[in-house]
Amino acid sequence: MQIPYNEELRPDTGLYNAKLGIWIFLASEVMLFGGLFSAYIMLRVGAPVWPPLGTAQLNIPMATFNTVVLITSSVTMVMAWASLKMNNFGKFKMYMGLTLLFSAMFLVVKYFEYSAKLSHGFTPAHDTFLAIYYTMTGLHVLHIIGGMLVNGYLWMPGSKMWESNPERFTNRIEVAGLYWHFVDLVWIFLFPSLYLL
Amino acid sequence: MSHDDIQHHVKTYIKVFMALMVLTLLTVYASYVDFDLAPGFKAGAIFVGLFIATVKGALVATQFMHLNNEKKIIYWVLGLTIVFFTVCLSIPVLWDSNLIGDTNFEQSPPKIEGGHH
Repeated sequence: MQIPYNEELRPDTGLYNAKLGIWIFLASEVMLFGGLFSAYIMLRVGAPVWPPLGTAQLNIPMATFNTVVLITSSVTMVMAWASLKMNNFGKFKMYMGLTLLFSAMFLVVKYFEYSAKLSHGFTPAHDTFLAIYYTMTGLHVLHIIGGMLVNGYLWMPGSKMWESNPERFTNRIEVAGLYWHFVDLVWIFLFPSLYLL
Repeated sequence: MSHDDIQHHVKTYIKVFMALMVLTLLTVYASYVDFDLAPGFKAGAIFVGLFIATVKGALVATQFMHLNNEKKIIYWVLGLTIVFFTVCLSIPVLWDSNLIGDTNFEQSPPKIEGGHH
Protein backbone atom coordinates (compact mmCIF):
# COMPACT_ATOMS: atom_id res chain seq x y z
CA MET A 1 0.00 0.00 0.00
CA GLN A 2 1.34 3.43 -0.90
CA ILE A 3 1.66 6.01 1.84
CA PRO A 4 -0.65 8.89 0.92
CA TYR A 5 0.16 12.62 0.70
CA ASN A 6 3.88 12.37 0.03
CA GLU A 7 3.78 15.08 -2.59
CA GLU A 8 0.25 16.37 -2.87
CA LEU A 9 -1.09 18.38 0.06
CA ARG A 10 -3.60 16.83 2.42
CA PRO A 11 -6.82 18.88 2.12
CA ASP A 12 -7.51 19.21 5.86
CA THR A 13 -3.99 20.23 6.99
CA GLY A 14 -2.77 21.90 3.79
CA LEU A 15 0.54 20.03 4.20
CA TYR A 16 2.17 16.85 2.98
CA ASN A 17 2.17 14.28 5.79
CA ALA A 18 5.91 14.21 6.52
CA LYS A 19 5.95 17.95 7.19
CA LEU A 20 3.29 17.74 9.89
CA GLY A 21 5.07 14.64 11.21
CA ILE A 22 8.45 16.37 11.58
CA TRP A 23 6.88 19.38 13.32
CA ILE A 24 5.14 17.13 15.86
CA PHE A 25 8.47 15.33 16.38
CA LEU A 26 10.25 18.66 16.83
CA ALA A 27 7.62 19.67 19.39
CA SER A 28 8.55 16.56 21.40
CA GLU A 29 12.21 17.51 20.99
CA VAL A 30 11.51 20.96 22.42
CA MET A 31 10.15 19.25 25.54
CA LEU A 32 13.15 16.89 25.74
CA PHE A 33 15.64 19.76 25.71
CA GLY A 34 13.20 21.87 27.76
CA GLY A 35 13.42 19.33 30.59
CA LEU A 36 17.21 19.59 30.55
CA PHE A 37 17.15 23.40 30.44
CA SER A 38 14.79 23.26 33.42
CA ALA A 39 17.26 20.98 35.25
CA TYR A 40 20.06 23.42 34.36
CA ILE A 41 18.14 26.36 35.88
CA MET A 42 17.34 24.24 38.96
CA LEU A 43 21.02 23.34 39.48
CA ARG A 44 22.13 26.90 38.84
CA VAL A 45 19.72 28.63 41.24
CA GLY A 46 20.39 25.94 43.86
CA ALA A 47 24.18 26.40 43.77
CA PRO A 48 25.90 28.90 46.06
CA VAL A 49 28.44 29.71 43.30
CA TRP A 50 28.00 29.13 39.54
CA PRO A 51 29.92 27.57 37.96
CA PRO A 52 31.13 25.66 41.04
CA LEU A 53 34.63 26.44 42.31
CA GLY A 54 37.31 24.15 40.90
CA THR A 55 35.32 23.13 37.85
CA ALA A 56 36.69 23.06 34.30
CA GLN A 57 37.13 26.27 32.32
CA LEU A 58 35.19 25.89 29.07
CA ASN A 59 36.92 26.86 25.85
CA ILE A 60 35.03 29.91 24.50
CA PRO A 61 37.00 30.35 21.22
CA MET A 62 36.40 26.67 20.32
CA ALA A 63 32.68 26.96 21.10
CA THR A 64 32.42 30.23 19.14
CA PHE A 65 34.08 28.55 16.17
CA ASN A 66 31.61 25.66 16.48
CA THR A 67 28.69 28.11 16.58
CA VAL A 68 29.88 29.67 13.33
CA VAL A 69 30.34 26.20 11.79
CA LEU A 70 26.84 25.04 12.79
CA ILE A 71 25.13 28.23 11.58
CA THR A 72 26.99 27.90 8.26
CA SER A 73 25.82 24.28 7.98
CA SER A 74 22.25 25.48 8.48
CA VAL A 75 22.66 27.93 5.60
CA THR A 76 24.15 25.28 3.28
CA MET A 77 21.27 22.95 4.23
CA VAL A 78 18.61 25.48 3.27
CA MET A 79 20.59 26.26 0.07
CA ALA A 80 20.53 22.52 -0.75
CA TRP A 81 16.73 22.61 -0.60
CA ALA A 82 16.56 25.86 -2.62
CA SER A 83 18.82 24.29 -5.29
CA LEU A 84 16.38 21.41 -5.74
CA LYS A 85 13.49 23.88 -5.96
CA MET A 86 15.44 25.53 -8.81
CA ASN A 87 15.98 22.12 -10.46
CA ASN A 88 19.72 22.27 -9.93
CA PHE A 89 20.72 18.82 -8.69
CA GLY A 90 24.46 19.51 -9.03
CA LYS A 91 24.26 22.45 -6.64
CA PHE A 92 22.19 20.35 -4.24
CA LYS A 93 24.98 17.78 -4.14
CA MET A 94 27.52 20.50 -3.43
CA TYR A 95 25.54 22.20 -0.65
CA MET A 96 24.55 18.91 1.00
CA GLY A 97 28.20 17.79 0.86
CA LEU A 98 29.20 21.07 2.54
CA THR A 99 26.54 20.55 5.22
CA LEU A 100 28.04 17.14 6.00
CA LEU A 101 31.54 18.61 6.02
CA PHE A 102 30.56 21.33 8.51
CA SER A 103 28.74 18.75 10.66
CA ALA A 104 31.90 16.64 10.77
CA MET A 105 33.94 19.74 11.68
CA PHE A 106 31.60 20.41 14.60
CA LEU A 107 32.12 16.86 15.87
CA VAL A 108 35.91 17.05 15.53
CA VAL A 109 36.05 20.29 17.56
CA LYS A 110 33.72 18.73 20.15
CA TYR A 111 36.01 15.68 20.34
CA PHE A 112 39.02 17.90 21.14
CA GLU A 113 36.96 19.83 23.66
CA TYR A 114 35.74 16.70 25.45
CA SER A 115 39.13 14.95 25.41
CA ALA A 116 40.88 18.03 26.85
CA LYS A 117 38.43 18.05 29.77
CA LEU A 118 38.41 14.31 30.37
CA SER A 119 42.22 14.03 30.30
CA HIS A 120 42.33 16.46 33.25
CA GLY A 121 39.82 14.43 35.24
CA PHE A 122 36.89 16.71 34.51
CA THR A 123 34.31 13.95 34.13
CA PRO A 124 30.53 14.38 34.46
CA ALA A 125 30.84 13.16 38.07
CA HIS A 126 33.18 16.04 38.99
CA ASP A 127 30.43 18.57 39.81
CA THR A 128 26.88 19.55 38.89
CA PHE A 129 28.02 22.04 36.23
CA LEU A 130 30.01 19.42 34.34
CA ALA A 131 27.19 16.88 34.80
CA ILE A 132 24.66 19.14 33.06
CA TYR A 133 27.28 20.33 30.53
CA TYR A 134 28.05 16.78 29.37
CA THR A 135 24.37 15.76 29.43
CA MET A 136 23.15 18.68 27.34
CA THR A 137 26.04 18.88 24.88
CA GLY A 138 26.19 15.05 24.68
CA LEU A 139 22.51 14.85 23.74
CA HIS A 140 23.10 17.60 21.20
CA VAL A 141 26.05 15.67 19.72
CA LEU A 142 23.81 12.58 19.38
CA HIS A 143 21.36 14.75 17.44
CA ILE A 144 24.18 15.92 15.16
CA ILE A 145 25.20 12.30 14.50
CA GLY A 146 21.57 11.33 13.80
CA GLY A 147 21.20 14.25 11.39
CA MET A 148 24.45 13.34 9.64
CA LEU A 149 23.24 9.77 9.07
CA VAL A 150 20.01 10.98 7.47
CA ASN A 151 21.73 13.74 5.46
CA GLY A 152 24.45 11.30 4.36
CA TYR A 153 21.79 8.86 3.13
CA LEU A 154 19.96 11.63 1.25
CA TRP A 155 23.25 12.88 -0.22
CA MET A 156 24.35 9.51 -1.61
CA PRO A 157 22.06 6.46 -2.02
CA GLY A 158 18.81 8.29 -1.22
CA SER A 159 19.41 10.91 -3.91
CA LYS A 160 18.43 8.40 -6.61
CA MET A 161 14.84 9.36 -5.86
CA TRP A 162 15.49 12.68 -7.63
CA GLU A 163 15.30 10.79 -10.96
CA SER A 164 12.11 8.87 -10.20
CA ASN A 165 10.21 11.32 -8.01
CA PRO A 166 11.83 14.78 -7.74
CA GLU A 167 9.00 16.42 -5.81
CA ARG A 168 8.99 13.77 -3.10
CA PHE A 169 12.78 13.95 -2.84
CA THR A 170 12.63 17.75 -2.46
CA ASN A 171 10.11 17.29 0.35
CA ARG A 172 12.47 14.83 2.05
CA ILE A 173 15.24 17.43 1.96
CA GLU A 174 12.89 20.05 3.39
CA VAL A 175 11.97 17.74 6.29
CA ALA A 176 15.63 16.82 6.95
CA GLY A 177 16.41 20.56 6.82
CA LEU A 178 13.75 21.40 9.42
CA TYR A 179 15.39 18.89 11.78
CA TRP A 180 18.85 20.28 11.07
CA HIS A 181 17.78 23.88 11.73
CA PHE A 182 16.28 22.72 15.02
CA VAL A 183 19.63 21.20 16.03
CA ASP A 184 21.23 24.57 15.17
CA LEU A 185 18.54 26.38 17.19
CA VAL A 186 19.27 24.27 20.28
CA TRP A 187 22.99 25.10 20.01
CA ILE A 188 22.20 28.82 19.73
CA PHE A 189 20.77 28.60 23.28
CA LEU A 190 23.27 26.06 24.65
CA PHE A 191 26.25 28.21 23.67
CA PRO A 192 25.52 31.28 25.86
CA SER A 193 23.89 29.24 28.65
CA LEU A 194 26.87 26.93 29.20
CA TYR A 195 29.87 28.87 27.90
CA LEU A 196 29.21 32.57 28.33
CA LEU A 197 26.83 33.27 31.21
CA MET B 1 6.90 28.49 -5.53
CA SER B 2 8.34 30.09 -8.67
CA HIS B 3 12.01 30.30 -9.63
CA ASP B 4 11.99 34.05 -8.82
CA ASP B 5 10.47 33.37 -5.40
CA ILE B 6 13.31 30.97 -4.58
CA GLN B 7 15.90 33.47 -5.85
CA HIS B 8 14.37 36.02 -3.49
CA HIS B 9 14.53 33.45 -0.64
CA VAL B 10 18.21 32.78 -1.36
CA LYS B 11 19.00 36.49 -1.04
CA THR B 12 17.21 36.50 2.32
CA TYR B 13 19.19 33.43 3.49
CA ILE B 14 22.46 35.24 2.79
CA LYS B 15 21.31 38.33 4.71
CA VAL B 16 20.16 36.17 7.65
CA PHE B 17 23.51 34.34 7.61
CA MET B 18 25.37 37.65 7.91
CA ALA B 19 23.06 38.79 10.71
CA LEU B 20 23.61 35.51 12.60
CA MET B 21 27.39 35.89 12.33
CA VAL B 22 27.28 39.46 13.65
CA LEU B 23 24.95 38.44 16.49
CA THR B 24 27.24 35.52 17.43
CA LEU B 25 30.19 37.90 17.76
CA LEU B 26 27.97 40.31 19.68
CA THR B 27 26.99 37.53 22.13
CA VAL B 28 30.64 36.74 22.81
CA TYR B 29 31.52 40.45 23.15
CA ALA B 30 28.56 41.06 25.49
CA SER B 31 29.72 38.24 27.76
CA TYR B 32 32.87 40.26 28.53
CA VAL B 33 30.93 43.46 29.31
CA ASP B 34 30.12 44.03 32.96
CA PHE B 35 26.34 44.29 33.24
CA ASP B 36 26.37 43.46 36.95
CA LEU B 37 23.85 45.39 38.97
CA ALA B 38 25.66 44.21 42.12
CA PRO B 39 28.77 42.06 42.73
CA GLY B 40 28.05 38.46 41.83
CA PHE B 41 24.61 39.34 40.49
CA LYS B 42 24.54 38.26 36.84
CA ALA B 43 20.94 39.14 35.91
CA GLY B 44 21.97 41.86 33.43
CA ALA B 45 24.44 39.63 31.58
CA ILE B 46 21.95 36.73 31.50
CA PHE B 47 19.23 38.99 30.12
CA VAL B 48 21.46 40.41 27.37
CA GLY B 49 22.92 36.98 26.45
CA LEU B 50 19.54 35.28 26.24
CA PHE B 51 17.96 38.23 24.42
CA ILE B 52 20.57 38.01 21.62
CA ALA B 53 20.13 34.20 21.52
CA THR B 54 16.36 34.66 21.21
CA VAL B 55 16.80 37.07 18.27
CA LYS B 56 19.13 34.55 16.58
CA GLY B 57 16.69 31.71 17.27
CA ALA B 58 13.80 33.75 15.87
CA LEU B 59 15.78 34.41 12.66
CA VAL B 60 16.51 30.69 12.20
CA ALA B 61 12.89 29.69 12.95
CA THR B 62 11.22 32.34 10.79
CA GLN B 63 13.58 32.35 7.81
CA PHE B 64 15.32 28.95 7.55
CA MET B 65 12.37 26.96 8.94
CA HIS B 66 9.88 29.21 7.11
CA LEU B 67 7.77 29.80 10.20
CA ASN B 68 7.02 33.30 8.92
CA ASN B 69 4.68 31.72 6.38
CA GLU B 70 3.33 28.40 7.56
CA LYS B 71 0.01 26.57 7.82
CA LYS B 72 -2.29 27.12 10.80
CA ILE B 73 -1.98 23.60 12.18
CA ILE B 74 1.78 24.01 12.68
CA TYR B 75 1.22 27.23 14.65
CA TRP B 76 -1.28 25.35 16.84
CA VAL B 77 1.18 22.52 17.48
CA LEU B 78 3.96 24.98 18.34
CA GLY B 79 1.66 27.19 20.43
CA LEU B 80 0.76 24.22 22.61
CA THR B 81 4.44 23.28 22.85
CA ILE B 82 5.34 26.79 24.00
CA VAL B 83 2.74 26.56 26.80
CA PHE B 84 4.20 23.29 28.12
CA PHE B 85 7.79 24.50 27.57
CA THR B 86 7.04 27.61 29.66
CA VAL B 87 5.57 25.44 32.43
CA CYS B 88 8.65 23.21 32.27
CA LEU B 89 11.03 26.17 32.60
CA SER B 90 8.93 27.66 35.41
CA ILE B 91 9.31 24.59 37.61
CA PRO B 92 12.61 25.84 39.14
CA VAL B 93 10.71 28.94 40.32
CA LEU B 94 8.93 26.62 42.76
CA TRP B 95 12.32 25.76 44.25
CA ASP B 96 11.88 28.21 47.15
CA SER B 97 8.63 26.64 48.26
CA ASN B 98 10.24 23.21 48.42
CA LEU B 99 11.26 22.27 51.98
CA ILE B 100 12.75 18.88 51.17
CA GLY B 101 16.42 18.97 52.07
CA ASP B 102 16.14 22.44 53.62
CA THR B 103 18.62 22.45 56.51
CA ASN B 104 17.04 25.59 58.00
CA PHE B 105 13.71 23.86 58.35
CA GLU B 106 13.18 24.28 62.10
CA GLN B 107 10.46 21.77 62.68
CA SER B 108 11.86 18.31 63.41
CA PRO B 109 10.90 15.65 60.91
CA PRO B 110 7.82 13.61 61.82
CA LYS B 111 8.49 10.40 63.75
CA ILE B 112 7.63 7.19 62.05
CA GLU B 113 5.49 5.16 64.39
CA GLY B 114 4.98 1.45 64.42
CA GLY B 115 8.41 0.68 63.13
CA HIS B 116 10.50 -2.21 64.46
CA HIS B 117 13.52 -1.35 66.63
